Amino acid sequence: MTISYSPGWTASIREVVIGATAAEGGTRRISYRIGGESDLPCIGSGRKPLIAFEICDDPALWPDVIRSACTKLVDNPPAWAAYVDTTLQADLIRLNLTSTRRRNFDAYDAVSKTVIAVLQATSLPLIIEGSADADIDSEVFQRCGEAGEKEKLVLGTAEAARYRSVAAAAIAYGHSVIAQSPIDVNLAKQLNILLREAGVPDDRILIDPYTGALGYGFEYTYSTMERIRFAALKGDGDLAMPMICAPSDTLTIKEVRAAVHSHETAVSWEVATAVAAALAGATILVVRHPGSLAPLRTAIDSLWKEEVA
Amino acid sequence: MPIVTFLPGFRKVEVSSSDSLMTAAQKAGLSINAVCGGVGKCGKCVMFHKSGRIRFDADRFKEFFTQEERDAGAILSCESYPEDDCQIMVPERTLIQNQQILMNVVGQAVEFNPSIRKYYVQVKPPTLEMPASDLYRLLDAIFHAGGPNSKQVYVPLEILRRIPSILRDSGWRVTATIARLPAGYRMIEIEKGDTSTRLYGVAVDLGTTTIVAFLRDLTTGQVIGVGSSYNKQISCGEDILSRVNYSKRKGLSRLQDLAVESINNAITMAANNAGVDRDDICEVVVAGNTIMTHMLLAIDPSYMIEEPYVPVVRRSLTASAGRIGLSIKPEGGIFLFPAVSDFIGGDIVADIVASGMAESPEISLMIDIGTNFEVVLGNNEWMFACAGAAGPALEGGEVLFGMRANPGAIEKVSIDSATLDLKYQTINGKKPVGICGSGLIDVLAELLRACVIDRTGRINTTLGHPRIREGEYFPEFVLAWKDETGIGKDIVVTENDIKNLIMSKASTLAACIILMNQAGITREDIKTLYFAGGFGNYINKDNAITVGLIPEVPVDRIINLGNGAAEGANIALINRKKRKFLDEIASLMGYIELNAEPTFMDEYTRGTFLPHTDLTLFPMVEKSLELCRLRVEGK
Amino acid sequence: MALKALDIYKLLPKKNCKECGDPTCLTFAMKLAQGKVEPDLCPYLDEEAKNILGASTRPPIQKVTVGMGTLSFTVGEEFVFYRHEKTFYHQPGIMYSVSDTESDDRIREVVSQVRGCRLTRIGIDLVLNGLAVYAESRSPERFAAAITVVTQDNPDLPLVLMASDPAVMEAGLAICGNYLPLIRGVNDQNCEAFCTLAKKYGAPLVVSGNDPEQLAANASRCTGLGITQLMLDLSGTEGEFIRASTLVRQAALARSVPGLGYPVFLDVRSSGFSGLITGITKFASVIVTRPLTRTEMQAALVMRQNIYTDPQKPIQMTPGLYRVGSPGRDDPVFLTVNFSLTYFTLQGYLESTRRSCWLLIVDTEGMSVLTAVAAGKLSESVVKDAIEKSGLASEVNHKTIIIPGYASPLSGRIEEYTGWKVIVGPRDAAEIASFIEEELK
Repeated sequence: MTISYSPGWTASIREVVIGATAAEGGTRRISYRIGGESDLPCIGSGRKPLIAFEICDDPALWPDVIRSACTKLVDNPPAWAAYVDTTLQADLIRLNLTSTRRRNFDAYDAVSKTVIAVLQATSLPLIIEGSADADIDSEVFQRCGEAGEKEKLVLGTAEAARYRSVAAAAIAYGHSVIAQSPIDVNLAKQLNILLREAGVPDDRILIDPYTGALGYGFEYTYSTMERIRFAALKGDGDLAMPMICAPSDTLTIKEVRAAVHSHETAVSWEVATAVAAALAGATILVVRHPGSLAPLRTAIDSLWKEEVA
Repeated sequence: MPIVTFLPGFRKVEVSSSDSLMTAAQKAGLSINAVCGGVGKCGKCVMFHKSGRIRFDADRFKEFFTQEERDAGAILSCESYPEDDCQIMVPERTLIQNQQILMNVVGQAVEFNPSIRKYYVQVKPPTLEMPASDLYRLLDAIFHAGGPNSKQVYVPLEILRRIPSILRDSGWRVTATIARLPAGYRMIEIEKGDTSTRLYGVAVDLGTTTIVAFLRDLTTGQVIGVGSSYNKQISCGEDILSRVNYSKRKGLSRLQDLAVESINNAITMAANNAGVDRDDICEVVVAGNTIMTHMLLAIDPSYMIEEPYVPVVRRSLTASAGRIGLSIKPEGGIFLFPAVSDFIGGDIVADIVASGMAESPEISLMIDIGTNFEVVLGNNEWMFACAGAAGPALEGGEVLFGMRANPGAIEKVSIDSATLDLKYQTINGKKPVGICGSGLIDVLAELLRACVIDRTGRINTTLGHPRIREGEYFPEFVLAWKDETGIGKDIVVTENDIKNLIMSKASTLAACIILMNQAGITREDIKTLYFAGGFGNYINKDNAITVGLIPEVPVDRIINLGNGAAEGANIALINRKKRKFLDEIASLMGYIELNAEPTFMDEYTRGTFLPHTDLTLFPMVEKSLELCRLRVEGK
Repeated sequence: MALKALDIYKLLPKKNCKECGDPTCLTFAMKLAQGKVEPDLCPYLDEEAKNILGASTRPPIQKVTVGMGTLSFTVGEEFVFYRHEKTFYHQPGIMYSVSDTESDDRIREVVSQVRGCRLTRIGIDLVLNGLAVYAESRSPERFAAAITVVTQDNPDLPLVLMASDPAVMEAGLAICGNYLPLIRGVNDQNCEAFCTLAKKYGAPLVVSGNDPEQLAANASRCTGLGITQLMLDLSGTEGEFIRASTLVRQAALARSVPGLGYPVFLDVRSSGFSGLITGITKFASVIVTRPLTRTEMQAALVMRQNIYTDPQKPIQMTPGLYRVGSPGRDDPVFLTVNFSLTYFTLQGYLESTRRSCWLLIVDTEGMSVLTAVAAGKLSESVVKDAIEKSGLASEVNHKTIIIPGYASPLSGRIEEYTGWKVIVGPRDAAEIASFIEEELK
């Protein structure tokens, strides 16, 4: 008797290309083709998730634990990016343009400069998180998109209430879009349809299911991701996009903020969330604490079989 | 006691000085708008004080009026009391407008078999040889005239007392009226001579807002008169829940009185139309929702609005008209439809009977939409039902320029997707003053086709068209410019209005899909989709499907049941055999409590998209929207 | 796949006899479909119907209990692959490992780590479940002595005994066997001896095998020897574990392989913290780990709580009036629902604004704002009730409440019914800061 595994999947996750090498018209040293999985995470021959490390251009609102872990770097995004690239050896860098969250923001030129400087400081593919305010979105995303033209960036974040500006920049400059919906499989699907109808090709969308912090709703994220993966493998093309998940949000919760051993706590909680997110189907895991990278890398290497080309 | 004169009609009424002017107006026969139930909250019952002394605390309610109105003597009638004879002006807006009341009935062939019959008989005079009692000889004669066996007939004391004189005064020729009851028969009248052609019954649709009465000749089954009335309970609260709350505060008797009075008005109107004496009406069949039915009988409905939401009674009921206060033959009967649950009432059971869905092996879906919705799915073997709150958006509530289907309401809209030129039609062709539910569904569908809104209902403000603009709080789309309207300002639909509409339609669609899932059927299995109630009559079916208010079925499978409640009541009036069937329908139905249904929220969220998150459930809509998009993009 | 109500109805006698307690066969079928009643309540089911309906209610994974007394825990009895399909019922027991070669003091220290670990979240105590003692010494005497160190003060602490020599295991069981420890160490050679021991003490047994086929065969061998309290050992690297546990869970739920319908045992002493997280999320029922750092332990316990929360029963806050900061009599009152996440989110954003205010939590049975509005659980009467019960009027000088944006359809009715002025707040709690800035200057 052979016991076989027969999940009855009929489809696979769509592939998305992130970053462009010289041969592909960009300046990155590597580009990633993510997605393509035709089974549950770790089962079969799926690709390993990528680890993205988060930096920002204005750390004022970031948790103290990160500011102290990345001290000296937090006010210098290019140096921070270089450190993440060469020392931490993350797969990707996510640049948060947190400066745009300040009131009455209008330093659009600075946005372009920061993006260009970070692109020069690292040759890893880049995810850029722009503004979160419909009034300035158009200008901010236009600048980001333009500054990273041909680099196949990932631009975030599109939401149902404000997706047109991100979509327009992504379409104009050949980037992908992060589509974030509030922890709900149906809303995720709706947003993907909206983006498609706004002209974003399906293979340039990443789903961000929105990451509830561990202990504060992470289970909703976990199940939403499982449902998205399930629907995609069962043939729902509107949900067959790779997922990006940011366990870094766990760092803002009370337990981590108030911890005595704050760095140790940050790493434990971030890694625990990231491992569970990977098992639920995340293709890109975004972490923020430097200490999280190594244990997460080890876990992923143990969970996933050697990659099949 | 003061005499109040209401202008402009000069209706006079004498009232006590503790009666509010609103009560006085109602006594004078005016239907006054009072959304809050007459507690000084809604500001809808505005009147103008012209002369005489009244009590009104103008300071306390000044926020309801403009300075100009205050100068003109504006008052809230629910908070004003006459001190002396006075004259009060009632502006048109304070009166409940003549809405479109549904009076037509689809009509299905029903076997004629009423529960009440008249027997004109010649009773044998008694003799010494045959000294049988008067009653015995009367019943014997009835039996020989094809009536029931004498042992089965119950004769109430009031009738019994009249038998000896009527028999003798009439020369032994009398007409007896006999009602068939669930167990046995009851004699409800005895009259001299032959009155057998004067036998009438009334079928009543007891609605929350309107009441319709159909007068039928019970010797032929024909409808001979129709009457209608507003449900006067509106003055105790517009929606049913505020009326239940009113009853908690002030008791049930006023609500019962108003319900009875409203039914009597409708019956009187029908009888007058047909030239029939109300005393010849022997039976009234009433189909109403569960709470209305309770209120009509003065049974406390308040436990129905609290967990675990149980009605006092579900089964069908009979009572004598006199005890309820109906102005028909006092010994006449009233039959009330059974209910399934708190929210699936006799009106829905009547809809089911009217549709015939419980007698067909083919699967039907029936939808009744108002502020609440009721959905029934099934066939002759099984039936599932559920109900829920749709929110008032589909009836024009929570929509900036929303209104009920009153004159001046925009009821139909079409939009040219290239130019965004807009055509609309209003009720009675008046200048537009607002937009009602069917118009809103049209707007939603047309804006979607023109790509002015996306599938979540957000207005694309980048299109650069004068009709699309930023409103005070939300982006909005102009339906009618102010010089076209009857209100002197632009009529718009805002993004927020659209959101509210989508929330309403999402719950209705979710309910349909949950029933379909429960039964394990798909939309293709639905052979007929019935729209019951007022909504279906005016709605554009194509647009209702396009926005996903209802599942996609071929349009020719959608049938407007019209006033199914009235139709069902009519059926039960002329065919007593159907009455037993009503209880069967009600007791065998599987009722799904949406509050306790774990998939409801998921289905609801799926429904908050135009037409639905799963586009494969709306294949034809998708094809046509695809074409629309290509056309818009190509221009 | 769960049966639809109508499918079940077709299997029922359709007599509407009411003997099951339901008015009709249809309503009985609806309850069966939701798993709210047992099919046996119907006295007229034929055999075929019983088979179909019975199979859908009997758990596909055997229930197993480890330990005795108040600290014992039960695992198994799971019905689903994904927690969103219904829920995961029995959270895994997490056991700290200790070797019998460690000093008695070290053993006591680990015991006190296990017993001393207590984390309270949302009113629920999160605890470690017990200790796993492994016979590294291979000596029956030392194994027994190490166990005695544990049981002296904590006889009821659930244990896993790990030894492959039946003589060593027997020595351990002689100390604590009556407290039903989990026995691990079965292999192809010692199977019968271990089964005898398990039977003698009635203790649950972990069976292993090199692949699922062998595992199923070994489990069947044990059941053949009369052991029903079984667990399946799927220990290995994280990757090996997850592939095996996915397969086993699927086979168990499909009831296709009788030997696999048991809970899963996982030893993560070599894979560590990430192995533990993997086990928690992917179907392990007893997990043995080296003692963790305090922060890892907390993260793991919270993860376990999250994953084993019933997705259909949201965690609820106690309704009532809460303070954010130190609000005074003129500070604003925000109203929201008692869905714990909504509360946490709103509270978090309110705290970050550094503006003191009141938070009035109304009872919506744990539903979120949108759900509660749609389902009628957030209504004017609920709000009125909350205002009255909380004594809000005596705490503040004003009569204004701020309601969530998604509750805006209720604003008019709340005003009418409660007499409080209503301000509609933002839909998204993230906008609360700008709302306060702009609207509540």
